[in-house]
Amino acid sequence: MQSAPLPETLANLVGLDPNSTPVMILMSLVGAALIGTLMMTNTALAGPWAKRKITAAFTDRIAVNRIGPYGLFIIVADAVRLLSKELIVPDGVDRPAWDLAPLVIASTALLGFAVVPMGSGIHLADPEVGLAYVFATASMASVGLVMAGYASNNKYSFLGGLRAVAQNVAYEIPLILTGASVVIFTGSLQMSEIVAAQQQTLIGPLPSWYAFVNPFAFVLFMIANLAEVGRNPFDIPEAPTEIVAGYQTEYSSVYFVLVYLGEFIHIFLGGAIIATIFLGGPAGPGPASLGIVWFFIKIWGVFLFTQWARSAVPRVRIDQLIEIGWKGMLVLSLANLLLTAVIVGVIA
Amino acid sequence: MSLEKPTPDTAAEVGVTEDGLDYDALADLLGGHVLDREEHVNAEGFVIRPDEVQAVLSTLKNEAGFDHCACVTAQEYDDRYESIYHLRKFDDPTQELSVIVPSPKDDPHNESAARVYSTADWHEREAYDLVGINYDDHPDLRRILLPETWQGHPLSQDFNQDQPQIVTLRENANPLEADHRSEDDSDTMFVNIGPHHPATHGVLHVKTVLDGEQIADLEPDIGYLHRCEEQMCQQGTYRHQIMPYPDRWDYVSAGILNEWAYARAAEDLADIEVPEYAQVIRTMSAELCRIAAHMLALGTFALDVFGDFTAIFQYAFRDREVVQNILEDLTGQRLMFNYLRLGGVAWDLPEPREEFFEKTRDFLDDLPHKLEEYHDLITGNEIFQMRCVDTGVLSPEEAKQYGATGPVARGSGVDYDLRRDDPYGYYDELDWNVVTEEGGDNFSRVLVRMREVEESARIIEQCIDLLEQWPEDEREIQANVPRTLRPDPDTEIYRAVEGAKGELGIYIRSDGTDKPARFKIRSPCFSNLQTLPEMSQGEYVPDMVASLGSLDIVLGEVDR
Amino acid sequence: MIGILKSMATTMKHALDGETFTVEYPDVAPEVSPRFRGVHKWSQERCIWCRQCENVCPNNTIQIVMDDQRNGEQYNLHIGQCIYCRLCEEVCPTDAILLTQNFEFTADTKDEFAYDKEQLKNVPWYKDIDPLESREPDRGAWIGEGDGEVDYQ
Repeated sequence: MQSAPLPETLANLVGLDPNSTPVMILMSLVGAALIGTLMMTNTALAGPWAKRKITAAFTDRIAVNRIGPYGLFIIVADAVRLLSKELIVPDGVDRPAWDLAPLVIASTALLGFAVVPMGSGIHLADPEVGLAYVFATASMASVGLVMAGYASNNKYSFLGGLRAVAQNVAYEIPLILTGASVVIFTGSLQMSEIVAAQQQTLIGPLPSWYAFVNPFAFVLFMIANLAEVGRNPFDIPEAPTEIVAGYQTEYSSVYFVLVYLGEFIHIFLGGAIIATIFLGGPAGPGPASLGIVWFFIKIWGVFLFTQWARSAVPRVRIDQLIEIGWKGMLVLSLANLLLTAVIVGVIA
Repeated sequence: MSLEKPTPDTAAEVGVTEDGLDYDALADLLGGHVLDREEHVNAEGFVIRPDEVQAVLSTLKNEAGFDHCACVTAQEYDDRYESIYHLRKFDDPTQELSVIVPSPKDDPHNESAARVYSTADWHEREAYDLVGINYDDHPDLRRILLPETWQGHPLSQDFNQDQPQIVTLRENANPLEADHRSEDDSDTMFVNIGPHHPATHGVLHVKTVLDGEQIADLEPDIGYLHRCEEQMCQQGTYRHQIMPYPDRWDYVSAGILNEWAYARAAEDLADIEVPEYAQVIRTMSAELCRIAAHMLALGTFALDVFGDFTAIFQYAFRDREVVQNILEDLTGQRLMFNYLRLGGVAWDLPEPREEFFEKTRDFLDDLPHKLEEYHDLITGNEIFQMRCVDTGVLSPEEAKQYGATGPVARGSGVDYDLRRDDPYGYYDELDWNVVTEEGGDNFSRVLVRMREVEESARIIEQCIDLLEQWPEDEREIQANVPRTLRPDPDTEIYRAVEGAKGELGIYIRSDGTDKPARFKIRSPCFSNLQTLPEMSQGEYVPDMVASLGSLDIVLGEVDR
Repeated sequence: MIGILKSMATTMKHALDGETFTVEYPDVAPEVSPRFRGVHKWSQERCIWCRQCENVCPNNTIQIVMDDQRNGEQYNLHIGQCIYCRLCEEVCPTDAILLTQNFEFTADTKDEFAYDKEQLKNVPWYKDIDPLESREPDRGAWIGEGDGEVDYQ
């Protein structure tokens, strides 16, 4: 499935020279816009509509169904509603930081998708440090959270910002260590290499996805990812019943949309990372052109899992969260890394 | 029978005899402190001097075993002010005593009882706020229900209702002013939790001082939902106009339990005998209400611990919906039932009776399965256990000291349930158990409620059997009650029932007219909420929120 | 861990069984019990202007105006202030005022809820349920006098 990255494909499509730098810059921008739009569409579907429907299913309710087929047009209605609300700027907020935070939260998560191979030739760039890059962009969101928390001049926001930092620091390390254990298998940080390494079959019909090769790492990664995207049982940076809405308490209107959007894109980015390094990326039965379909099924699967956990798992307390992170997850992920290294070393 | 409670060792308590209390022995114990003795319908009242309150009450508490100060009622007469301390015992609440403290009209001063019974703290603040009696040696005598800026005391006789109470914003306390309350101690942070906060179950304001995320100091601020319920009842006639209002104290489906509190007090006051058939219906409908109320408590507690809109909240609501449909069939309303009447109930069971029985039985049959599901979802969940076990601990001594009752007290191992200990209705004829848990933590309180639902189901089942077999010509739902009730002047009574949240008591004093002269509500939530600082000192904010949820307060009842 | 998985299994079971307990309200009219207490309906033919309902009303929702010959002129009831306790129906000797099952009423301002005679007469039955038939009121005991002296308050 080693297709050319998206800008080259686009350049060939419109008949321009893929070797000229201006053309490539232009085509990269077009590709980025394409991928950005794709993810935004997903988020629009997930935020106002799918989330309601999924929550309703878990709680025996019907949820939106009055506007459009299956209530789908609620997306438009919600967009209009949210954008037409007054943007309230509280007294004493730290202006540039407060305004920038929603942008940082939303855009950093989008940046990650640049290196994610989505199949069907949609792959913007394929740098050799792809995996490291994804983790780096994903964790930049916590900068946005801290900015939002500190700049809001609200004690609940402040507590939420502090909680977000504590949580992200505690869970990023296990996340990256577990990701590194996959890198030991492939020997490369390049996303396309990681996907390619999962193409063989393991036993019978089972593909050699790393979720099957090392299920323990997969489970660890799933849990750490829940904390990374701030969903139950680790949704304490927001924790509505404790600190109102955490870092996003003071945001309204467009800013709120950006924060909310950022969260959802973040969940999808987490899903994309899981799909790529554990679930074979866009791999699936059928022709390779269906890759994008499989890829989206996988990231929606991860999204569904976060919603499922939200319906049934209580939130842990902040001190318990830190304890689980440093004393449990970190140790387990280190053990996993060492064990993988030893096993791979012995076999190789 | 399972209803029997282990007999406490009362040998050391003065005044306890085989057949109840010997008031003469109690009077001897107090000796010269007793100035006069009065006869109330529920107990005798000892009149004492206003400057000897602490001495008398601590003697009664330590030597006569009156460890429960149920309520403090204050009122103004033409010639004096009066505070009544309604004392009873956690071991045997039928042993009651009223301590009456008169104070002069021109300068009403009493000694405070807050040093003897912690629960008197808030009760006396309320008396000060509404009636205007000053309590000396009170730890913190401020207004509690009305705003700090209020002029006058609305239940005192000289209160001018037409006087405007508008106060400019500048004169009001500014919550932001207290922002840096402890400037010398820069390690703490002052946070207003509420009155608008997702976890306060209404409009409660909790002033908290945080040390990191741990609670260094905490003070509940109530009164946002004060609707003058007591005054409204004082303006209604006994026979008709008071009954619709109890539904609105604890407005989350505990209506019939509240109505029963008024019905019991007024019936005992006017000496009305309720037909047995009506008592069975009352018992059944009250327990249905209890299930509905506990379901709601469970659902909202899950909301506090699990996060926004968990499945459990919705499941609890779904099950409560079934109960409410049954109650709607029976009473005609889903929350504001107005079903009980003095001397009976408003309606017999709806026709066709078989359908009603079947509907109720179906609900009872489904209930164990549903409770099993809740146990899977809540109590069996390790993270839930991690969150709730050993957090918000309330020791039995503190529970008694603060006058906590109901599931809160029973979750701390205080074996106190008025349905058994001070029987009314048809409870003493039925086979059921009082549920207690020893833990005293958030988990125990939730567990008590879940198990009480099972017990309530048992009671309802037995009532249904009884009602089904009741001979058709003996289905008397209403005693013959005069159209206008005028109890004898100066009859006083304090009677309580086991509401959904605990001991819901009513004090009524009649003055010979068809309306009460003083109507005082002893709200269980009011007393239970006092334990919150005790529970959450040093705990994390999330645990405080969980404790608040496990107290299951309804602000409508706290503020009245 | 087992407990958590069990919780998750329980919610998943609910998600998959497809059952819902909410209803699509305006499309599906809810079942209302025959005893349900909704907006009042008043009948001028039956009313004898005894003012018992006005007297018993706990929060002065009913206002009756009569001329000096005790002929009824106005009968006003504020359905937004009413607490739906049904005491007016209970004391009415002629069933002139009834609480229908009708729970649907809206208005732009509170004032529009102050219903007069004509509006009260025209309140529709809900699903054509006549509450009198379904409630079989047991009036005997309730209206009956006690042992004491008769009091026509």
